[in-house]
Amino acid sequence: MIRKTSLITLLLLGTTTAFAQETQAVENTAAETITQEAQNVGNDVPIAAAPQQEKCITIMSGFPDNGHVPRYQFFKLTQELSRDITPMLKSSLDYFGDSFVTAETPVTEVIENIANPVFRQAAPEITIGNMGYLIDFAMDCESYLTGQIESLEAYDSSLTESEFNIVIAEDALFMRQILSDTLFRVNAQDHEIFGPSVQAYADSLVTTRDEIEFASFENELDSIEAIFLTDLDGRLARSNDVINNEMDQETLVSSIQITDDLNSEAKKKRKQTMLRTLSRILGGR
Amino acid sequence: MNKRLSTTALLATTLLTTACASTATGSKQSVLMTKTQTQSLKTQAPAGSLMAVVRYPAVVDSKARDKFREAYMASPIGGRISASTANSTEAQNIVDSSVVKSNYFALSLYKELAARLPEHSVLLSPHEIKLGPDGQLTSEPITQAESLPSVVTVDFATYSYPDPKKMMDKNPLTFGDLISPMVTVRTDHRAAVPTHGVLLSSKPLKDHAVGGGYKAAQASLTELQSGSFDTDVPELDFISYISKDVTRSAASHQLSMNAPENVVQISPMEKIKMDGSKITALNKGQKGAVDPLQPVFSKGFANRIIDIINDTASEKTAMGKRATAIASYDPSLAALTFVGSNDADYLARYNSAIRLLDAEKKYLSVQSLRLFDGVHNGEMGAQVRDMLKAEHNILEKRRALARKQNQAAALAILGAVASGVAISQGSNGQSERQCDRYGRCRIVNRPNYGQRILTDVLVNASIYAGTQAFAYKNESKAIGQNYLTSIVPALEQQTNVQIDLIDSNETITAIRFEDLKDKLKTLYNDRQRSLETIATRCAYNHEGGSQGTWMGVCEGGVANGNGVGVIKNASGKSVEYYGYASGGMANGPGYMIIHEPSGSYALEGNFSGGKADGVMRVSKAGQSDKLRNYSAGKDTGGASNAAAVMSPFNTRSGA
Repeated sequence: MIRKTSLITLLLLGTTTAFAQETQAVENTAAETITQEAQNVGNDVPIAAAPQQEKCITIMSGFPDNGHVPRYQFFKLTQELSRDITPMLKSSLDYFGDSFVTAETPVTEVIENIANPVFRQAAPEITIGNMGYLIDFAMDCESYLTGQIESLEAYDSSLTESEFNIVIAEDALFMRQILSDTLFRVNAQDHEIFGPSVQAYADSLVTTRDEIEFASFENELDSIEAIFLTDLDGRLARSNDVINNEMDQETLVSSIQITDDLNSEAKKKRKQTMLRTLSRILGGR
Repeated sequence: MNKRLSTTALLATTLLTTACASTATGSKQSVLMTKTQTQSLKTQAPAGSLMAVVRYPAVVDSKARDKFREAYMASPIGGRISASTANSTEAQNIVDSSVVKSNYFALSLYKELAARLPEHSVLLSPHEIKLGPDGQLTSEPITQAESLPSVVTVDFATYSYPDPKKMMDKNPLTFGDLISPMVTVRTDHRAAVPTHGVLLSSKPLKDHAVGGGYKAAQASLTELQSGSFDTDVPELDFISYISKDVTRSAASHQLSMNAPENVVQISPMEKIKMDGSKITALNKGQKGAVDPLQPVFSKGFANRIIDIINDTASEKTAMGKRATAIASYDPSLAALTFVGSNDADYLARYNSAIRLLDAEKKYLSVQSLRLFDGVHNGEMGAQVRDMLKAEHNILEKRRALARKQNQAAALAILGAVASGVAISQGSNGQSERQCDRYGRCRIVNRPNYGQRILTDVLVNASIYAGTQAFAYKNESKAIGQNYLTSIVPALEQQTNVQIDLIDSNETITAIRFEDLKDKLKTLYNDRQRSLETIATRCAYNHEGGSQGTWMGVCEGGVANGNGVGVIKNASGKSVEYYGYASGGMANGPGYMIIHEPSGSYALEGNFSGGKADGVMRVSKAGQSDKLRNYSAGKDTGGASNAAAVMSPFNTRSGA
């Protein structure tokens, strides 16, 4: 019911309203939202409002806590899930989704619901609803997620390795693909209002898949490059050293010495010739 | 008196031949230093492309050595070479040392460009001078540096007039602190159509460089016609010059920052004097940190090259060779890269292919850096620097002797003039009538002993001074010849080391490069998804011409989409077209190059039914590009400079 109200409010205000406004709209009327926004202009506004803060902390406490690596994977996965979500698509999830998820529901359970093939087949609206919930969380709590991800990366730099992150991105893409397929299952693509955004989301998955494939390709290529460049550089350096060591500096030195000797000889001869000339000139007449 | 007069006359005549010996001077800096402002790079290289490749003669194949010397002697710049001179060891050493010095000084230019252009965007391309299949002299790149697209390629060689007796004259010379560089700067013929890609050239090389560019363009057309993207790597322009290869004229303009487009800028043949103190400062421990060529030539030339890159860098400079390079991984993609596409499948493949070219660039860049290190910073570089120092000392000695020779000659001339005056005065000396005691009288010239002694001294001094001048001249000549004779073993050793360095690098790197390419190809094939639209080969037609070849999107056996089309007519006219086609004819945004016996020109804009239709950018020889209105292939007058040109390169991405 609340979600339906939110949808109507959103449609009234226009599809470009920011997500923060949308959350407010759930609790307030459209007019109140505009007033609130107007009041916020020029003031310091907390990144997350107090109710959201509470929501974020509650949900995040439901993340796996059996080590920093699984936590990082879940945070990152959740963050990736919010890619390419437009306000209109977000509204379509509210519209087509139907599931009861509370802030206390563990995230792992939400994800399991999304990946559950039975739900996907028999009750696609539950899959959509769970996905909508997760995306809501990812967008509302973006600053908390980013903070957690950066802290964990600072704690363990190996988490930033591209190969590891590509796997997470692939998992996220898989879940996004599930969402897109499920939306098609409920014929959301043909909906008069939501159809274009559902189609655009499906297209964006192609681009994301290409990006992930390219990142994976580049990752492997980087490895080949590193092996070959290091190998080449080492070989050439050694080859140059050997050849340079074999080069005989004495050859040049002796060549220049020979030149000097020949020049001295030429100079001596010139002097003798000149002396003879001088004596012939002065005394030989 | 007659004897003294004839001696004086003889002396004066002979002095004319010994007087005013040249002291082997050169200009303080290259004209490139004065006619070019400091430039910074303001553009990016097209995707997958290098910025510059420096080509130079590195080694001479033993089978081609005699032919190379013979051709060099037969094409002297600045005079004629007699057969006896051409056969002398000293002259041949001048020829051989020009290759060694080309190697060394090309690295100065490489260093300057590499420092100022983005990392991995400048490569060295050493060439081996060899005999072609037809027995004619040619040159081939030793490495794969020219297999990748580049905005510009720069030919560099040093030149010495091969007559050891003329070393102190005005002829071009690369010896000691003197250098005579010969250069050309070219781009792909598609980016400078009227000059066949040649942008700047040393005066003697111009027509050969343009001829080489035309030959390469025609070879590329023939390949495209037969469905291949292979491109010719032209031989060094210097080799084209000495082997008297095909020439072709093109509009030219003297070196200027304001020269119009579509001309070859001409750099004069120079003899530049490097700073002697910098040559003296060269020493082995510095590993070439002192670069005497940089402040007088390399810096200015690098500025000019960067200026050219800023003006030239565009898809047109890279698209030909990029297609060739991509074809080695993905032939069905190559033809589509000329114009590009926004389709996701195309972009996915294209981005991966470009990344492969970047990997090749990095690999070849490391090879160039190591080559630089091996030659310039290694023992050979140290020896060349020692050689330059020795040559500089020789030149300085010869200059000192030339100055003495000139002083002696001046003294001799003064003496000759003075003695001539004295003799002349002696002939007008006083006479008196003398009578003996028998009343016999006679007219006797009264001997002026003081005058006579003075005359004798002047004549003798003149003879001595003249002799001295001759002696200085001979000594000077001997110093040069002695050096050229005695340097043979060192020169041979340097040549051998050079071959070792390049050959061993090549042996290693050729195998490794092929290996790398195989690995990249496997990776690419494993990762790529299929293309929805693939390029094929089909028919392309042009107005009134025979049927040509289209490489790109086809439908019903004719061009229908983007790609490249070529037609070569028996009349000598040929057409290249890059862009969109429909029903086998150019249709939509396109770039058409028309080669006619009288010259080549380009049209860029919209085509309809194979004909230019709309605002076209016209590139013709000797004038900057102009916007003209066309209707059904006819020029209907000038267009506003603000008019939009429908270029196939404006709207695309991923190309």
